[in-house]
Amino acid sequence: MEFIKPNTLKELLEIISTITGEKYYFAGGTDINIQIKKDIIRNGKIIFINHIKELNGIKEDENYILIGSTTTFRQIIESKLLNDKLPFFQKSLNNFASPLIQSQATIGGNIANGSPTADVVPLLLVLDGKLELISNSMNRTINLKDFFTGYKKFILKPDEIIKSIFIPQNAENGFDTFYEKIGSRKALSIAKIAVAGLKKVVNNEINEIKIAVGSLNEYPRRLDLIEDYLLNKDLKDIDFKKIRIILKEEITPITDLRSDKDYRFEVCLNLIKKFLLKPDSG
Amino acid sequence: MKVNFNLNNKKVSIDVDPMKRLLDILREDFGLLGTKEGCGEGECGACTVLMDGKPVTSCLVNACHLEGKTILTVEAIAKEPIGKLLIDCFDETNAVQCGFCFPGFLVSSYYFLISDGEQNLDKIKEALSGNICRCTGYQKIFESVMLACKKKQLYSHRFSLIHPVR
Ligand SMILES: Cc1cc2nc3c(=O)[nH]c(=O)nc-3n(C[C@H](O)[C@H](O)[C@H](O)COP(=O)(O)OP(=O)(O)OC[C@H]3O[C@@H](n4cnc5c(N)ncnc54)[C@H](O)[C@@H]3O)c2cc1C
Ligand code: FES
Ligand code: FES
Repeated sequence: MEFIKPNTLKELLEIISTITGEKYYFAGGTDINIQIKKDIIRNGKIIFINHIKELNGIKEDENYILIGSTTTFRQIIESKLLNDKLPFFQKSLNNFASPLIQSQATIGGNIANGSPTADVVPLLLVLDGKLELISNSMNRTINLKDFFTGYKKFILKPDEIIKSIFIPQNAENGFDTFYEKIGSRKALSIAKIAVAGLKKVVNNEINEIKIAVGSLNEYPRRLDLIEDYLLNKDLKDIDFKKIRIILKEEITPITDLRSDKDYRFEVCLNLIKKFLLKPDSG
Repeated sequence: MKVNFNLNNKKVSIDVDPMKRLLDILREDFGLLGTKEGCGEGECGACTVLMDGKPVTSCLVNACHLEGKTILTVEAIAKEPIGKLLIDCFDETNAVQCGFCFPGFLVSSYYFLISDGEQNLDKIKEALSGNICRCTGYQKIFESVMLACKKKQLYSHRFSLIHPVR
Protein backbone atom coordinates (compact mmCIF):
# COMPACT_ATOMS: atom_id res chain seq x y z
CA MET A 1 0.00 0.00 0.00
CA GLU A 2 1.12 3.52 -0.69
CA PHE A 3 0.11 6.61 1.29
CA ILE A 4 -0.26 10.11 -0.06
CA LYS A 5 -0.91 13.28 1.92
CA PRO A 6 -1.74 16.22 -0.36
CA ASN A 7 -1.43 19.68 1.20
CA THR A 8 -4.34 21.42 -0.46
CA LEU A 9 -7.55 20.60 -2.34
CA LYS A 10 -5.89 21.66 -5.59
CA GLU A 11 -2.96 19.33 -4.98
CA LEU A 12 -5.35 16.51 -4.03
CA LEU A 13 -7.29 16.86 -7.28
CA GLU A 14 -4.10 17.03 -9.34
CA ILE A 15 -2.73 13.92 -7.71
CA ILE A 16 -5.87 11.83 -8.14
CA SER A 17 -6.18 12.83 -11.79
CA THR A 18 -2.90 10.99 -12.42
CA ILE A 19 -3.47 7.88 -10.30
CA THR A 20 -4.64 4.76 -12.05
CA GLY A 21 -5.89 1.67 -10.24
CA GLU A 22 -7.34 1.10 -6.84
CA LYS A 23 -7.43 4.07 -4.47
CA TYR A 24 -9.13 5.06 -1.24
CA TYR A 25 -9.78 8.42 0.36
CA PHE A 26 -8.97 8.26 4.02
CA ALA A 27 -11.30 10.62 5.89
CA GLY A 28 -12.26 9.47 9.42
CA GLY A 29 -10.96 6.01 8.60
CA THR A 30 -13.64 4.24 10.66
CA ASP A 31 -14.56 2.05 7.69
CA ILE A 32 -11.16 1.85 5.95
CA ASN A 33 -9.22 0.91 9.11
CA ILE A 34 -11.50 -2.05 9.64
CA GLN A 35 -11.41 -3.08 5.98
CA ILE A 36 -7.60 -3.09 6.15
CA LYS A 37 -7.67 -5.07 9.39
CA LYS A 38 -10.00 -7.65 7.84
CA ASP A 39 -7.92 -7.85 4.67
CA ILE A 40 -10.77 -6.49 2.54
CA ILE A 41 -8.38 -3.75 1.40
CA ARG A 42 -4.96 -5.22 0.63
CA ASN A 43 -3.37 -2.91 -1.87
CA GLY A 44 -3.88 0.33 -3.70
CA LYS A 45 -3.19 3.89 -2.76
CA ILE A 46 -4.51 5.53 0.37
CA ILE A 47 -4.96 9.27 0.08
CA PHE A 48 -5.44 11.29 3.26
CA ILE A 49 -8.11 13.97 2.94
CA ASN A 50 -9.18 14.65 6.52
CA HIS A 51 -6.89 17.67 6.98
CA ILE A 52 -8.05 19.51 3.86
CA LYS A 53 -9.86 22.62 5.05
CA GLU A 54 -12.05 23.20 1.99
CA LEU A 55 -13.75 19.86 2.59
CA ASN A 56 -14.84 20.53 6.17
CA GLY A 57 -17.57 22.55 7.84
CA ILE A 58 -21.24 23.49 7.78
CA LYS A 59 -22.53 26.71 6.24
CA GLU A 60 -25.51 28.09 4.34
CA ASP A 61 -26.29 30.21 1.35
CA GLU A 62 -29.62 31.58 0.18
CA ASN A 63 -30.91 28.24 -1.10
CA TYR A 64 -28.96 25.49 0.62
CA ILE A 65 -27.34 24.19 3.76
CA LEU A 66 -23.87 22.99 2.71
CA ILE A 67 -22.03 20.28 4.61
CA GLY A 68 -18.40 19.57 3.68
CA SER A 69 -17.66 15.90 3.03
CA THR A 70 -15.19 15.47 5.92
CA THR A 71 -17.57 17.03 8.44
CA THR A 72 -17.91 14.60 11.35
CA PHE A 73 -21.19 13.40 12.83
CA ARG A 74 -20.20 15.18 16.04
CA GLN A 75 -19.95 18.47 14.16
CA ILE A 76 -23.39 17.75 12.70
CA ILE A 77 -24.97 16.89 16.04
CA GLU A 78 -23.46 19.96 17.74
CA SER A 79 -24.19 22.42 14.91
CA LYS A 80 -26.31 25.44 15.84
CA LEU A 81 -27.12 26.09 12.21
CA LEU A 82 -28.54 22.59 11.76
CA ASN A 83 -30.43 22.87 15.02
CA ASP A 84 -32.12 25.97 13.57
CA LYS A 85 -32.63 24.83 10.00
CA LEU A 86 -32.72 21.03 9.89
CA PRO A 87 -33.63 19.84 13.40
CA PHE A 88 -35.16 16.56 12.16
CA PHE A 89 -31.99 15.68 10.24
CA GLN A 90 -29.84 16.55 13.23
CA LYS A 91 -31.95 14.73 15.82
CA SER A 92 -32.15 11.60 13.70
CA LEU A 93 -28.35 11.31 13.78
CA ASN A 94 -28.08 11.59 17.57
CA ASN A 95 -27.87 7.82 17.90
CA PHE A 96 -25.38 7.35 15.07
CA ALA A 97 -22.88 4.64 16.10
CA SER A 98 -21.61 5.78 19.52
CA PRO A 99 -20.42 9.11 20.93
CA LEU A 100 -16.84 7.92 20.32
CA ILE A 101 -17.34 7.02 16.65
CA GLN A 102 -19.30 10.24 16.10
CA SER A 103 -16.16 12.27 16.79
CA GLN A 104 -14.32 10.53 13.98
CA ALA A 105 -16.77 9.29 11.31
CA THR A 106 -17.53 11.67 8.43
CA ILE A 107 -20.66 12.24 6.36
CA GLY A 108 -18.80 11.85 3.04
CA GLY A 109 -17.31 8.56 4.24
CA ASN A 110 -20.75 7.29 5.22
CA ILE A 111 -22.12 7.97 1.73
CA ALA A 112 -19.06 6.83 -0.25
CA ASN A 113 -18.42 3.67 1.73
CA GLY A 114 -21.56 2.62 -0.12
CA SER A 115 -23.01 0.35 2.52
CA PRO A 116 -26.76 -0.37 2.12
CA THR A 117 -26.98 0.35 5.86
CA ALA A 118 -25.41 3.83 5.80
CA ASP A 119 -27.57 5.79 8.25
CA VAL A 120 -27.27 9.22 6.71
CA VAL A 121 -28.40 8.23 3.21
CA PRO A 122 -32.16 7.56 3.69
CA LEU A 123 -32.37 10.86 5.60
CA LEU A 124 -30.64 12.80 2.85
CA LEU A 125 -32.85 11.09 0.26
CA VAL A 126 -36.10 12.34 1.79
CA LEU A 127 -34.58 15.79 2.22
CA ASP A 128 -33.76 15.87 -1.53
CA GLY A 129 -30.04 16.09 -0.80
CA LYS A 130 -27.53 16.80 -3.55
CA LEU A 131 -23.84 16.04 -3.88
CA GLU A 132 -21.22 18.40 -5.20
CA LEU A 133 -18.61 16.32 -7.01
CA ILE A 134 -15.27 17.81 -7.91
CA SER A 135 -12.28 16.82 -10.03
CA ASN A 136 -9.31 18.59 -11.52
CA SER A 137 -11.25 19.35 -14.68
CA MET A 138 -14.83 19.83 -13.53
CA ASN A 139 -17.33 20.49 -10.85
CA ARG A 140 -20.90 19.15 -10.98
CA THR A 141 -23.89 18.84 -8.69
CA ILE A 142 -26.11 15.78 -8.82
CA ASN A 143 -29.10 14.49 -6.90
CA LEU A 144 -28.04 12.00 -4.24
CA LYS A 145 -30.63 9.54 -5.56
CA ASP A 146 -28.73 9.38 -8.86
CA PHE A 147 -25.39 8.72 -7.14
CA PHE A 148 -25.77 4.98 -6.55
CA THR A 149 -25.77 2.48 -9.39
CA GLY A 150 -25.40 -0.83 -7.54
CA TYR A 151 -23.96 -2.46 -4.45
CA LYS A 152 -21.03 -0.18 -3.52
CA LYS A 153 -21.15 1.28 -7.05
CA PHE A 154 -21.51 4.99 -7.85
CA ILE A 155 -21.40 7.36 -10.78
CA LEU A 156 -18.21 8.87 -9.32
CA LYS A 157 -15.51 9.17 -12.03
CA PRO A 158 -12.03 7.84 -11.15
CA ASP A 159 -10.68 11.34 -10.57
CA GLU A 160 -13.69 12.70 -8.70
CA ILE A 161 -14.42 13.09 -4.99
CA ILE A 162 -17.43 14.27 -3.03
CA LYS A 163 -16.79 17.87 -2.04
CA SER A 164 -19.97 18.63 -0.17
CA ILE A 165 -23.57 17.74 0.51
CA PHE A 166 -26.34 20.25 -0.23
CA ILE A 167 -29.71 20.22 1.48
CA PRO A 168 -32.41 22.71 0.38
CA GLN A 169 -33.06 25.40 3.01
CA ASN A 170 -36.73 24.59 3.46
CA ALA A 171 -36.39 20.82 3.10
CA GLU A 172 -38.10 20.09 6.41
CA ASN A 173 -40.47 23.04 6.58
CA GLY A 174 -44.09 22.14 7.18
CA PHE A 175 -43.48 18.41 6.94
CA ASP A 176 -44.46 15.74 9.37
CA THR A 177 -41.21 13.82 9.87
CA PHE A 178 -40.40 10.20 10.60
CA TYR A 179 -37.17 8.24 11.07
CA GLU A 180 -36.79 4.83 12.56
CA LYS A 181 -33.82 2.51 12.52
CA ILE A 182 -34.19 -1.06 13.72
CA GLY A 183 -31.03 -2.71 15.02
CA SER A 184 -30.23 -5.37 17.57
CA ARG A 185 -29.55 -2.83 20.30
CA LYS A 186 -29.49 0.91 20.70
CA ALA A 187 -25.82 1.80 20.63
CA LEU A 188 -23.38 0.71 17.97
CA SER A 189 -25.83 -1.31 15.99
CA ILE A 190 -25.89 -1.63 12.25
CA ALA A 191 -29.36 -1.01 10.87
CA LYS A 192 -31.37 -4.05 9.82
CA ILE A 193 -34.07 -1.82 8.46
CA ALA A 194 -34.29 1.97 8.32
CA VAL A 195 -37.23 4.06 7.13
CA ALA A 196 -37.24 7.84 6.73
CA GLY A 197 -40.32 9.77 5.70
CA LEU A 198 -41.73 13.26 5.20
CA LYS A 199 -45.39 13.97 4.60
CA LYS A 200 -47.68 16.95 4.24
CA VAL A 201 -51.31 16.19 4.95
CA VAL A 202 -54.01 18.81 4.37
CA ASN A 203 -57.65 18.02 5.21
CA ASN A 204 -56.74 14.38 5.52
CA GLU A 205 -55.28 14.31 2.02
CA ILE A 206 -51.61 13.56 1.34
CA ASN A 207 -50.27 16.59 -0.53
CA GLU A 208 -46.61 15.64 -0.47
CA ILE A 209 -44.91 12.39 0.43
CA LYS A 210 -41.30 11.22 0.52
CA ILE A 211 -40.21 7.80 1.78
CA ALA A 212 -36.73 6.30 1.71
CA VAL A 213 -35.46 2.99 3.06
CA GLY A 214 -32.04 1.66 4.04
CA SER A 215 -30.71 -1.89 4.35
CA LEU A 216 -33.43 -3.28 2.10
CA ASN A 217 -31.79 -3.03 -1.33
CA GLU A 218 -28.29 -2.88 -2.75
CA TYR A 219 -28.28 0.76 -1.75
CA PRO A 220 -30.70 3.03 0.15
CA ARG A 221 -33.41 4.43 -2.08
CA ARG A 222 -36.65 6.37 -2.37
CA LEU A 223 -39.81 4.31 -2.76
CA ASP A 224 -41.06 6.01 -5.95
CA LEU A 225 -43.91 3.57 -6.63
CA ILE A 226 -45.30 3.76 -3.10
CA GLU A 227 -45.01 7.55 -3.21
CA ASP A 228 -46.95 7.61 -6.52
CA TYR A 229 -49.66 5.43 -5.03
CA LEU A 230 -50.01 7.62 -1.94
CA LEU A 231 -49.89 11.06 -3.50
CA ASN A 232 -53.22 12.92 -3.30
CA LYS A 233 -54.86 10.03 -1.46
CA ASP A 234 -57.16 10.50 1.44
CA LEU A 235 -55.60 8.89 4.53
CA LYS A 236 -58.81 6.85 4.96
CA ASP A 237 -58.47 5.36 1.48
CA ILE A 238 -55.00 3.92 1.91
CA ASP A 239 -55.13 0.21 1.13
CA PHE A 240 -52.29 -1.50 2.96
CA LYS A 241 -52.81 -4.71 0.98
CA LYS A 242 -52.03 -2.70 -2.11
CA ILE A 243 -48.97 -1.19 -0.42
CA ARG A 244 -47.77 -4.69 0.43
CA ILE A 245 -47.96 -5.65 -3.26
CA ILE A 246 -46.14 -2.53 -4.45
CA LEU A 247 -43.49 -2.90 -1.76
CA LYS A 248 -42.76 -6.44 -2.98
CA GLU A 249 -41.76 -4.89 -6.30
CA GLU A 250 -39.82 -2.07 -4.80
CA ILE A 251 -37.60 -3.66 -2.20
CA THR A 252 -35.44 -6.77 -2.38
CA PRO A 253 -34.44 -7.54 1.20
CA ILE A 254 -31.70 -10.06 1.78
CA THR A 255 -31.16 -12.72 4.40
CA ASP A 256 -27.86 -12.31 6.21
CA LEU A 257 -26.31 -12.88 9.61
CA ARG A 258 -28.38 -10.09 11.08
CA SER A 259 -31.86 -10.93 9.78
CA ASP A 260 -34.07 -12.96 7.56
CA LYS A 261 -35.59 -11.37 4.44
CA ASP A 262 -39.24 -12.01 5.34
CA TYR A 263 -38.69 -10.40 8.72
CA ARG A 264 -37.12 -7.39 7.03
CA PHE A 265 -40.06 -7.08 4.63
CA GLU A 266 -42.70 -7.23 7.37
CA VAL A 267 -40.89 -4.74 9.60
CA CYS A 268 -40.44 -2.34 6.70
CA LEU A 269 -44.15 -2.55 5.93
CA ASN A 270 -45.02 -1.94 9.58
CA LEU A 271 -42.75 1.09 9.77
CA ILE A 272 -44.36 2.58 6.66
CA LYS A 273 -47.76 2.00 8.26
CA LYS A 274 -46.61 3.62 11.48
CA PHE A 275 -45.35 6.64 9.54
CA LEU A 276 -48.57 7.05 7.55
CA LEU A 277 -50.87 6.63 10.52
CA LYS A 278 -48.76 8.79 12.82
CA PRO A 279 -50.80 11.82 13.83
CA ASP A 280 -49.63 15.03 12.24
CA SER A 281 -47.26 16.72 14.66
CA GLY A 282 -47.60 20.14 13.02
CA MET B 1 5.81 10.51 8.39
CA LYS B 2 6.71 13.17 10.92
CA VAL B 3 3.86 14.32 13.15
CA ASN B 4 3.71 17.05 15.76
CA PHE B 5 0.94 17.08 18.32
CA ASN B 6 0.21 17.91 21.90
CA LEU B 7 0.15 14.94 24.26
CA ASN B 8 -1.01 15.41 27.83
CA ASN B 9 -0.11 19.11 27.74
CA LYS B 10 3.34 18.63 26.19
CA LYS B 11 4.40 19.26 22.62
CA VAL B 12 5.67 16.07 21.06
CA SER B 13 7.01 15.07 17.68
CA ILE B 14 7.53 11.59 16.27
CA ASP B 15 8.45 9.92 13.02
CA VAL B 16 6.08 7.00 12.41
CA ASP B 17 4.19 5.01 9.80
CA PRO B 18 1.20 7.20 8.76
CA MET B 19 -1.21 4.35 9.52
CA LYS B 20 0.17 3.55 12.96
CA ARG B 21 -2.74 3.62 15.38
CA LEU B 22 -2.81 6.28 18.08
CA LEU B 23 -3.40 3.41 20.53
CA ASP B 24 -0.04 1.86 19.58
CA ILE B 25 1.73 5.22 19.49
CA LEU B 26 0.61 5.89 23.06
CA ARG B 27 1.57 2.46 24.35
CA GLU B 28 4.75 1.78 22.35
CA ASP B 29 6.25 5.19 21.62
CA PHE B 30 5.25 6.95 24.83
CA GLY B 31 4.90 4.10 27.33
CA LEU B 32 1.39 5.24 28.28
CA LEU B 33 -0.15 1.90 29.14
CA GLY B 34 -3.40 3.16 30.66
CA THR B 35 -5.10 3.17 27.25
CA LYS B 36 -6.14 -0.44 26.58
CA GLU B 37 -6.87 -2.47 23.50
CA GLY B 38 -10.05 -4.53 23.65
CA CYS B 39 -11.62 -5.13 20.26
CA GLY B 40 -9.40 -2.97 18.05
CA GLU B 41 -12.50 -2.17 15.96
CA GLY B 42 -14.17 0.80 17.60
CA GLU B 43 -16.78 -1.27 19.44
CA CYS B 44 -15.63 -1.51 23.06
CA GLY B 45 -14.20 1.88 24.06
CA ALA B 46 -11.30 0.46 26.14
CA CYS B 47 -8.97 2.66 24.07
CA THR B 48 -10.89 5.95 24.56
CA VAL B 49 -8.89 9.20 24.70
CA LEU B 50 -9.81 12.84 24.12
CA MET B 51 -8.74 14.33 20.80
CA ASP B 52 -9.20 18.10 20.60
CA GLY B 53 -11.43 17.73 23.64
CA LYS B 54 -13.76 15.09 22.13
CA PRO B 55 -13.79 11.38 23.01
CA VAL B 56 -12.50 9.03 20.29
CA THR B 57 -11.49 5.38 20.04
CA SER B 58 -7.70 5.55 19.66
CA CYS B 59 -7.69 2.21 17.81
CA LEU B 60 -9.36 3.98 14.86
CA VAL B 61 -7.24 7.15 14.93
CA ASN B 62 -4.04 6.99 12.90
CA ALA B 63 -0.79 8.94 12.89
CA CYS B 64 -2.00 10.77 9.76
CA HIS B 65 -4.85 12.27 11.81
CA LEU B 66 -2.63 13.67 14.53
CA GLU B 67 -0.85 16.70 13.10
CA GLY B 68 -1.62 19.73 15.29
CA LYS B 69 -4.09 17.82 17.45
CA THR B 70 -4.34 17.81 21.26
CA ILE B 71 -4.53 14.40 22.90
CA LEU B 72 -5.44 13.82 26.52
CA THR B 73 -5.09 10.28 27.86
CA VAL B 74 -6.39 8.65 31.00
CA GLU B 75 -3.04 9.29 32.70
CA ALA B 76 -3.56 13.06 32.49
CA ILE B 77 -7.28 12.91 33.19
CA ALA B 78 -6.70 10.89 36.37
CA LYS B 79 -4.70 13.84 37.73
CA GLU B 80 -7.37 16.45 36.95
CA PRO B 81 -9.74 17.41 39.79
CA ILE B 82 -12.75 16.02 37.91
CA GLY B 83 -10.82 12.87 37.08
CA LYS B 84 -9.96 12.40 40.75
CA LEU B 85 -13.57 13.00 41.73
CA LEU B 86 -14.69 10.31 39.29
CA ILE B 87 -12.13 7.82 40.56
CA ASP B 88 -13.32 8.43 44.13
CA CYS B 89 -16.95 7.89 43.08
CA PHE B 90 -16.14 4.68 41.18
CA ASP B 91 -14.37 3.57 44.34
CA GLU B 92 -17.19 4.56 46.64
CA THR B 93 -19.83 2.64 44.67
CA ASN B 94 -17.57 -0.37 44.01
CA ALA B 95 -18.11 0.06 40.30
CA VAL B 96 -14.93 -1.63 39.12
CA GLN B 97 -14.32 -5.36 38.95
CA CYS B 98 -11.49 -6.57 36.68
CA GLY B 99 -10.76 -2.96 35.73
CA PHE B 100 -9.92 -3.48 32.07
CA CYS B 101 -12.72 -1.23 30.82
CA PHE B 102 -12.18 1.38 33.49
CA PRO B 103 -9.71 3.74 31.73
CA GLY B 104 -12.16 4.05 28.82
CA PHE B 105 -15.13 4.64 31.12
CA LEU B 106 -13.13 7.23 33.01
CA VAL B 107 -12.39 9.20 29.83
CA SER B 108 -15.99 9.04 28.58
CA SER B 109 -17.37 9.98 32.01
CA TYR B 110 -14.86 12.80 32.29
CA TYR B 111 -16.03 14.17 28.94
CA PHE B 112 -19.64 13.96 30.14
CA LEU B 113 -18.85 15.80 33.36
CA ILE B 114 -17.03 18.68 31.69
CA SER B 115 -19.38 19.03 28.69
CA ASP B 116 -22.75 18.53 30.41
CA GLY B 117 -22.64 17.04 33.91
CA GLU B 118 -26.39 16.93 34.47
CA GLN B 119 -27.36 14.26 36.99
CA ASN B 120 -29.56 12.51 34.44
CA LEU B 121 -29.43 8.75 34.01
CA ASP B 122 -30.55 8.71 30.36
CA LYS B 123 -27.92 11.24 29.38
CA ILE B 124 -25.25 9.29 31.24
CA LYS B 125 -26.23 6.03 29.55
CA GLU B 126 -26.07 7.77 26.19
CA ALA B 127 -22.67 9.30 26.96
CA LEU B 128 -21.26 5.90 27.97
CA SER B 129 -22.90 3.93 25.15
CA GLY B 130 -19.60 3.52 23.29
CA ASN B 131 -17.98 1.71 26.24
CA ILE B 132 -18.46 -1.95 27.03
CA CYS B 133 -17.93 -3.67 30.40
CA ARG B 134 -17.90 -7.46 30.54
CA CYS B 135 -18.02 -7.71 34.34
CA THR B 136 -20.27 -5.30 36.14
CA GLY B 137 -23.61 -5.06 34.38
CA TYR B 138 -23.23 -1.26 34.20
CA GLN B 139 -25.61 -0.27 37.03
CA LYS B 140 -22.81 0.59 39.45
CA ILE B 141 -20.93 2.47 36.75
CA PHE B 142 -23.99 4.62 36.06
CA GLU B 143 -24.45 5.11 39.80
CA SER B 144 -20.91 6.34 40.24
CA VAL B 145 -21.22 8.85 37.41
CA MET B 146 -24.55 10.03 38.86
CA LEU B 147 -22.79 10.48 42.18
CA ALA B 148 -19.93 12.38 40.55
CA CYS B 149 -22.40 14.75 38.87
CA LYS B 150 -24.04 15.39 42.22
CA LYS B 151 -20.73 16.02 43.99
CA LYS B 152 -19.50 18.23 41.22
CA GLN B 153 -22.57 20.41 41.64
CA LEU B 154 -22.27 20.47 45.42
CA TYR B 155 -18.63 21.46 45.33
CA SER B 156 -18.72 23.43 42.10
CA HIS B 157 -16.68 26.24 43.66
CA ARG B 158 -13.76 23.82 43.95
CA PHE B 159 -13.84 22.72 40.34
CA SER B 160 -14.81 25.84 38.48
CA LEU B 161 -11.52 27.54 39.28
CA ILE B 162 -9.36 24.70 38.13
CA HIS B 163 -11.31 23.41 35.20
CA PRO B 164 -13.67 25.87 33.55
CA VAL B 165 -16.77 23.97 32.48
CA ARG B 166 -17.49 24.36 28.80
C1 LIG C 1 -17.95 0.74 15.89
C2 LIG C 1 -18.55 1.28 14.63
C3 LIG C 1 -19.89 1.64 14.60
C4 LIG C 1 -20.47 2.14 13.44
N1 LIG C 1 -21.80 2.48 13.48
C5 LIG C 1 -22.39 2.97 12.36
C6 LIG C 1 -23.78 3.35 12.39
O1 LIG C 1 -24.48 3.29 13.41
N2 LIG C 1 -24.33 3.79 11.22
C7 LIG C 1 -23.61 3.89 10.07
O2 LIG C 1 -24.16 4.30 9.05
N3 LIG C 1 -22.29 3.58 10.03
C8 LIG C 1 -21.67 3.11 11.14
N4 LIG C 1 -20.34 2.77 11.10
C9 LIG C 1 -19.57 2.88 9.85
C10 LIG C 1 -18.73 4.15 9.67
O3 LIG C 1 -18.39 4.72 10.91
C11 LIG C 1 -19.44 5.20 8.82
O4 LIG C 1 -19.75 4.66 7.56
C12 LIG C 1 -18.60 6.49 8.66
O5 LIG C 1 -19.46 7.56 8.34
C13 LIG C 1 -17.51 6.40 7.61
O6 LIG C 1 -16.83 7.64 7.55
P1 LIG C 1 -15.23 7.75 7.62
O7 LIG C 1 -14.87 9.15 7.43
O8 LIG C 1 -14.71 7.06 8.81
O9 LIG C 1 -14.89 6.88 6.31
P2 LIG C 1 -13.48 6.30 5.72
O10 LIG C 1 -13.23 5.02 6.41
O11 LIG C 1 -12.44 7.37 5.87
O12 LIG C 1 -13.89 6.13 4.23
C14 LIG C 1 -14.93 5.25 3.84
C15 LIG C 1 -15.03 5.16 2.32
O13 LIG C 1 -15.50 6.38 1.77
C16 LIG C 1 -14.63 6.86 0.74
N5 LIG C 1 -14.62 8.32 0.88
C17 LIG C 1 -14.43 9.02 2.05
N6 LIG C 1 -14.55 10.34 1.82
C18 LIG C 1 -14.80 10.50 0.49
C19 LIG C 1 -15.01 11.64 -0.37
N7 LIG C 1 -14.98 12.89 0.11
N8 LIG C 1 -15.24 11.41 -1.69
C20 LIG C 1 -15.27 10.15 -2.18
N9 LIG C 1 -15.08 9.05 -1.44
C21 LIG C 1 -14.84 9.21 -0.11
C22 LIG C 1 -13.31 6.19 0.98
O14 LIG C 1 -12.59 6.00 -0.23
C23 LIG C 1 -13.72 4.87 1.61
O15 LIG C 1 -13.98 3.90 0.61
C24 LIG C 1 -19.70 2.28 12.26
C25 LIG C 1 -18.34 1.96 12.29
C26 LIG C 1 -17.76 1.47 13.45
C27 LIG C 1 -16.30 1.13 13.46
S1 FES D 1 -10.01 -1.27 21.31
FE1 FES D 1 -10.68 0.54 20.46
S2 FES D 1 -12.80 0.43 20.70
FE2 FES D 1 -12.17 -1.53 21.34
S1 FES E 1 -14.79 -4.27 35.15
FE1 FES E 1 -14.15 -5.90 33.90
S2 FES E 1 -14.69 -5.22 31.93
FE2 FES E 1 -15.52 -3.71 33.17
